[in-house]
Amino acid sequence: MKRNLFVNLAGILIAMLLGAIVMLIQGYNPVETYSALFGYSLANFYSFSTTLRNAVPLILTGLSASVAFASGPVNLGQPGQLLIGAIFCVIGGLYVDLPPYLMIPFLLLLSMIGGAVWSGIAALLKKFFRMDEFITTLMLNMIADYLTYWAITYPLFEPRANHPQTPLITKNGFMPKWGNFNTNVIVMLIVFFVIWFILNRTTAGYEWRISGKNSLFARIGGVKIEKNYLAVMLLTGALAGLAGGLVIMSGPHRFIKGLGANYAWDGIMIAMVANNGIPATLLYGLFFSILQTGSLGMELITAVPSELITVLQAVIVLVVVASRGYFELMIAKIATRRKLKDRDIYPQLINENAIDREDANQ
Amino acid sequence: MNVIIGLINGMIAAATPILLAALGGTLTYYAGIFNIAMEGMMLSGAFFAVLGSYYFHSWIVGILFGVLGAILIALIFIFFSISLKVDEFVTGVGLNLFAVGLTTYLLRQIFKVKGAFTNPGIVSIPKIHIPLIEDIPVLGKILSGQNLVVYIALIATIFITWLVFKSRFGLRLRAAGYNSTCLDTSGVSSNAIRFRSLILCGILCGFAGSFLSLGYVTLFTENMSAGRGWISLAAVILVSGNPVGIALVSLLFGFADGLGLFLQQSLPSQFTSMVPYVATLMALFVYSIRKKKKEAIS
Repeated sequence: MKRNLFVNLAGILIAMLLGAIVMLIQGYNPVETYSALFGYSLANFYSFSTTLRNAVPLILTGLSASVAFASGPVNLGQPGQLLIGAIFCVIGGLYVDLPPYLMIPFLLLLSMIGGAVWSGIAALLKKFFRMDEFITTLMLNMIADYLTYWAITYPLFEPRANHPQTPLITKNGFMPKWGNFNTNVIVMLIVFFVIWFILNRTTAGYEWRISGKNSLFARIGGVKIEKNYLAVMLLTGALAGLAGGLVIMSGPHRFIKGLGANYAWDGIMIAMVANNGIPATLLYGLFFSILQTGSLGMELITAVPSELITVLQAVIVLVVVASRGYFELMIAKIATRRKLKDRDIYPQLINENAIDREDANQ
Repeated sequence: MNVIIGLINGMIAAATPILLAALGGTLTYYAGIFNIAMEGMMLSGAFFAVLGSYYFHSWIVGILFGVLGAILIALIFIFFSISLKVDEFVTGVGLNLFAVGLTTYLLRQIFKVKGAFTNPGIVSIPKIHIPLIEDIPVLGKILSGQNLVVYIALIATIFITWLVFKSRFGLRLRAAGYNSTCLDTSGVSSNAIRFRSLILCGILCGFAGSFLSLGYVTLFTENMSAGRGWISLAAVILVSGNPVGIALVSLLFGFADGLGLFLQQSLPSQFTSMVPYVATLMALFVYSIRKKKKEAIS
């Protein structure tokens, strides 16, 4: 655990140093820029609650990707599932009106169904026609993008608007706010604990995890791979859909063109950099949100374009994953060396490649 | 008649970037690399092609820059996946997003615009008119007058077929994917082969990107590769890497794209834009049915 923390922090530090070098080359002051970045997203309660609000879709799509990757299915459909979840939520919010304590759960459920429907299509295509979900979910992303674009341009179009968007959903469907603190964070936290509990404390979660690690072992052990596959796809779709619903209910309260364009791919990146760990996904989701929320402040104060953060995020993912692999390799090398010394065996007889020659001579 | 010629020309134009990227994907496919960074390579190529063409007022420099831009992504891929042994899937996804970020950032820093950059100063790649063939009644309008890159793609298809199946490099390439330990023990470094296959893939994706931003249209927009890299990956998987098969599949996707434009008169544009992606799903569907039948027979 400690080792893991160290590797992640070192990776982030290296990535941020690379970012600083880029800034220096372009003639910006890195210290000033980074302090503007973190200041804008963390300085006070107001900005921190904005950061938290923005973290919700990142963490939910991140959880969706983490659960999927950890259990086997390569569900890359979070962007599409998020959009379909959002459009389901908007449809519910436009045509149904209930008191808030019923309306909010109803819309949350509806957006989860939306996401699950979209991932369900990919799951069925795999089940019946053995089409790889890795490609089908990607294509479904594009289709969802155009489908929702059509929906907000024609049937759900707000007549007075001058660009494609829907009217506002009913007020009863807005997520309540305490000051600037949005309650979508609470929904996210509940979902986080439920997912953590399912994965770590239930039989189903155990089956998913071992199927992800070694599907042959799981099958021989009596795990129903196909049934679990469907369950994981539906669950992860529902999570991404929920992210979409919450974006609508806590943010613009309507579907605007280009909504959530980046959230979901970020979710996939978060899952990768978190190595599919559930708590790590939460932390990285928060960290990415700090970067993204702060990027606006960075642009305002130091004129560094906010797009730099997109580059920085990708660099963080690559560097952290690379340093994790490299670090593990080093640890394994040291461990082997120690073992061999303890057993008093000449290392060169065992494996020349794993051990440096100078050690063998000792 | 003119409608049909227009449709066929549209189909060829839409097929070209997919074909080029898929040919690159074929090389890495045979080398045993799960390469999903074609999207990023293409996008980077498209951006740098515009950059070169705009500053040097020459499409040749544009293509050169485009190829270099794509090779840049390929080199990062090599650094992470071959040198540092990072998971290829993670590297690919990370690099695709890196390319999106990089091009948007540079678009803003260099050209001071958001979203799209278009300028009369960008020189596009010329169309080639072949003297005699041009005069053939109907065929002339299809065979001649295409963009230079279209002909390059055609030559590349033949060249890659030869390279993979007839040359020594191709043998080693296939060996690297089939059994890399065997190749390594016979004295050829499989990593060196993979390195070369990725560089070649970068070059081909660079041409694809240059065609997107200097041939198909003459501008750069954010994320303009729009999933073409993914479609080309699907094409590679569909025909298990056979270059001629890839050319046919790319034409099919091109046809779907052209059909989408054609249908725009009767359907909202959002639906017609979906056509290539739906076509990919259909193609995968047909592929899986055929595979099922084959397995049933054997």
